[in-house]
Amino acid sequence: MTTLRQKHRRETARTLAFLSPWLIGVSVFFLYPLVSTVYFSFMKYDGFTPPTWTGLKNWQYVFTDYPFFWPALRNTLWLVVVMVTLRVLFGLGIGLLITKVKTGAGFFRTAFYLPYLAPPVAATMAFAFLLNPGTGPVNNILGSIGLPQPGWFNDPSWSKPALTMLALWGIGDLMVIFMASLLDVPQEQYEAASLDGAGAWQRFRFVTLPNISPIVLFAVVTGVIQTMQYYTQPLVAGKVASGVIGGAGQQFEPGYPEKSTLTLPQLVYHLGFQRFDTGGASVIALVLFALAMVFTVFLMRSMTERSAA
Amino acid sequence: MTATAISSPVTLTPAARTARRTRFLHWVGVHSLAIAAALFFVLPFVFIFLTALMSDQQALTRDLWPDSWHWENLRTVWETPGFLTWWKNTLLYAGLGTALTLLSSIPVAYALARFKFRGRNVVLMLVIATMMLPPQVVIVPMYLFWAKQLHLSGTLWPLIIPMAFTDAFSVFLLRQFLLTIPKDYVDAAKVDGCGEFKALVRIVLPMAKPAIAAVALFQFFYCWNDYFGPQIYASENPAAWTLSYGLESFKGAHHTNWNLTMAATLLVMAPVIILFFFAQKAFIEGVTLTGVKG
Amino acid sequence: MPSFTRAVIGTAAVALLATACTGTSSTPQANDDATKDVNLTFWHGWSAPSEAAAIDANVKAFEAKHPNIHVKVVGNINDDKIKQALRAGGANAPDVVSSFTTDNVGTFCASNVFSDLKPFLDKSGIDLDKTFPKPLQDYTQFQGKRCTLPLLNDAYGLYYNKTAFKAAGITAPPKTLSEFDAVAKKLTKVKGDTYSQLGFMPNFHGYESTTTHFAALWNPTYFTPDGKSNLAKDPAFASMLTWQKGLVGQLGGFAKLEKYRATFGDEFGAKNPFHTGQVAMTMDGEWRLGMAREAGVKFDIGVAPFPVPDDQADSYGKGYLSGTVIGIAGTSQKQNAAWELVKFMTTDTDAVVSFANAIHNVPSTLDAIKSPKLTADENFKTFLGIAQHEKSNTTPASPNGGAYQLTLQDFGYAYEAGKVTDLAAGLAKTDEQIDKDLAQAK
Repeated sequence: MTTLRQKHRRETARTLAFLSPWLIGVSVFFLYPLVSTVYFSFMKYDGFTPPTWTGLKNWQYVFTDYPFFWPALRNTLWLVVVMVTLRVLFGLGIGLLITKVKTGAGFFRTAFYLPYLAPPVAATMAFAFLLNPGTGPVNNILGSIGLPQPGWFNDPSWSKPALTMLALWGIGDLMVIFMASLLDVPQEQYEAASLDGAGAWQRFRFVTLPNISPIVLFAVVTGVIQTMQYYTQPLVAGKVASGVIGGAGQQFEPGYPEKSTLTLPQLVYHLGFQRFDTGGASVIALVLFALAMVFTVFLMRSMTERSAA
Repeated sequence: MTATAISSPVTLTPAARTARRTRFLHWVGVHSLAIAAALFFVLPFVFIFLTALMSDQQALTRDLWPDSWHWENLRTVWETPGFLTWWKNTLLYAGLGTALTLLSSIPVAYALARFKFRGRNVVLMLVIATMMLPPQVVIVPMYLFWAKQLHLSGTLWPLIIPMAFTDAFSVFLLRQFLLTIPKDYVDAAKVDGCGEFKALVRIVLPMAKPAIAAVALFQFFYCWNDYFGPQIYASENPAAWTLSYGLESFKGAHHTNWNLTMAATLLVMAPVIILFFFAQKAFIEGVTLTGVKG
Repeated sequence: MPSFTRAVIGTAAVALLATACTGTSSTPQANDDATKDVNLTFWHGWSAPSEAAAIDANVKAFEAKHPNIHVKVVGNINDDKIKQALRAGGANAPDVVSSFTTDNVGTFCASNVFSDLKPFLDKSGIDLDKTFPKPLQDYTQFQGKRCTLPLLNDAYGLYYNKTAFKAAGITAPPKTLSEFDAVAKKLTKVKGDTYSQLGFMPNFHGYESTTTHFAALWNPTYFTPDGKSNLAKDPAFASMLTWQKGLVGQLGGFAKLEKYRATFGDEFGAKNPFHTGQVAMTMDGEWRLGMAREAGVKFDIGVAPFPVPDDQADSYGKGYLSGTVIGIAGTSQKQNAAWELVKFMTTDTDAVVSFANAIHNVPSTLDAIKSPKLTADENFKTFLGIAQHEKSNTTPASPNGGAYQLTLQDFGYAYEAGKVTDLAAGLAKTDEQIDKDLAQAK
């Protein structure tokens, strides 16, 4: 007869066996590099000569002297405020719309969802073409109806709005999430509200919104976290718009035009893989880590509250 | 939907008539909005498609419609040196990556959903934390590790191998689904003499098919779309480029041939879109799973 | 598949390895035998099909001369990839590398990414002064360390639309900047709030009209002897920025010009604004001649050295120079064989001439410039002249590559847009920034 302790030991062994891929993965691909990043953030290392201790020099350089750091942070803030907000509003709007559509619902759902699947490099390149100031179809159409034709990805004040349009185009994920949550709202509550004489807006305000507010929060927080990771689209857009891409002879101006599309992940690449500055790149990586963790904790809080509710 | 309205349409009461008109106007309003939105979502595809089939000269003009249809552009792109290699590499990365992710992540997700053990919440929190982590955070030491210790830069292995050690998002998603499978099913199987692993394979996996399909699709798409990973590890070796990375260099080499660039874009988008039509249901379920069942 | 085996080993090692990475680089000894059968990998940046074909032909000619050396050519490689690959080393790393820009020569030489070529040059008895023009020797070395050699050369000059000149009654290209400003104004035709023809696009984003290309007309000194940024002290930069801003104002102002610039086609495409007649003059490299021909430009193209500041009128004929450089990867185990390829491509007169002919660049050796086999019409000869002018100059190498140029360019954007008005203070601040970046790179 097996004792309780033996059973416990067997269960522990079994759990460990099931978890083993993750245990290795998280140690080698998360904990080790994280510790190593902290280590490198205090070192001078160019990839050739052995690392040497430099104390807080890298930290000081990034925060006070690195000309791309604050612009990248400001851009991230802009994207969080404008892009995330618009994405949530637009996603909710499209989700609402799709629940109301009676005719051709299948077609509309597919049409709204499909752009989400376009690979980011391909989608960005397509938008760089569509929004090409000189010859692109969008300015072409704007011009023919007498509207101003912005410089889009070539104009520092229009490049982030252009990226926002690209992000709104790929709204499919949010649309589906909102659609599902809208369909989950109990029908009786609408009926009750209608009997009380509530109009469409009031029904939305007092029935729909309270029911889907956890999803809205989820969309906002994941949107913010995605913004922390925002890399491919601004980089490719800048490269294509500046014409400096691939093997061309000029150097690419990071964040083209005029730093307006810089984001923190791009700085890791710029310092670590273009300037050989492992230390500086590690500092940026840790800043990025701290920011991502703040919002992740926020997300986990909101999720536990939801499951408790 | 009153009975009178159907049986005697001629003698509509004024109130019913107003209701019907409101409903009609509502229908018109909703559908015009939907059509406007559809234009926003579909027109970019249309322009990509039309431009892809223009001649070199015309693609530089402000014309929207091709004078003559140059289907051979697609062929030119397809036959570009390297394009086929990019395809193969992308398939290898996405295919092998997805398979390894499933193999490694399912047991972990199962343990997190079913077993009670000390530190389970810590594990779960770490899974969520790594899921939210930008890949750039750990890239510097990871790159040095793969390139300097193992000399695997210039290949896709630094991207594929980690997937044999779970992917946080997949673990999370699978766990969320596995939580919904009633415990009794598994317990019944165990009464029948199945071990925990057998129960997982025989009972749980068949029930979790939709979630597994969703995870597989997401992972496949993630690999297919990945730009940063190949940029870091594969960029120095054109024989290891993937479609996402190659597409950018294709634009570099064909600076101004927007028609060819758009044809290439189309050829990169096409497989994902085709896959979507085959697996639409799994997809939508998967997306819903990420958001709603939190 | 050897990389697969390594992948398997890697997977096993993953679990065991958790030590800090330290790279040690011992300089490889050049002790390989260049007469034995050997495979080389050669990376270059050319991507257009005609250019790639030209370089392949060049390599074929080399292989015909050295049947034991086999070269694998990989194109469309930019500097980021070069730096990364050379940092990693390994089986896929190249032996011979050429880079489009001279910007990174400082990085390449200072960090030993590229091998020191001096022993090879001595061994082969090559006298640099008798082989390469002086400015080209300068931009291929860094602080006395020669780790690259020039492979073809780019010279920048003034392109002008002869038809537009005739219509405006202008008979000869301007030689000084004040003449140039007058001509640019004369050629500008305003139409509403835009232009039907612009004399010249002075904005720093106007493709080749960059701060560094303009500054070359003043023969600037970018760094003090002890390696500090020198923008505020050398009046060249203030003069250049003042001149540019003045011209921007005369032609209609920054905003209006930017709006017009947005209508330009791609720089390297058929719809380049100079090709289409949107601008009547432009600053560009010698390659524009071939590109304009291929684009089927309708008007007659005139070429001249770019006008010089009025107080330096005697230096007319100079221009900004740049070029492709080639070197040997420090990690290569086949240094001697690699040197054979580098030597052939950079010093063999026939090889240099035929390559220059094929891609419409200026040859990079003294013999090749004089070679009768060089196909050079009158326009092209102008560029040969600029390339050999003693006052022609280029941007110096620095330990962190072209970072300082981007910083200066950044200031240029702010100044032309009127975001910064105090020029002296702005340049001093730019100096500070460049010095900080340099300190971080050291």
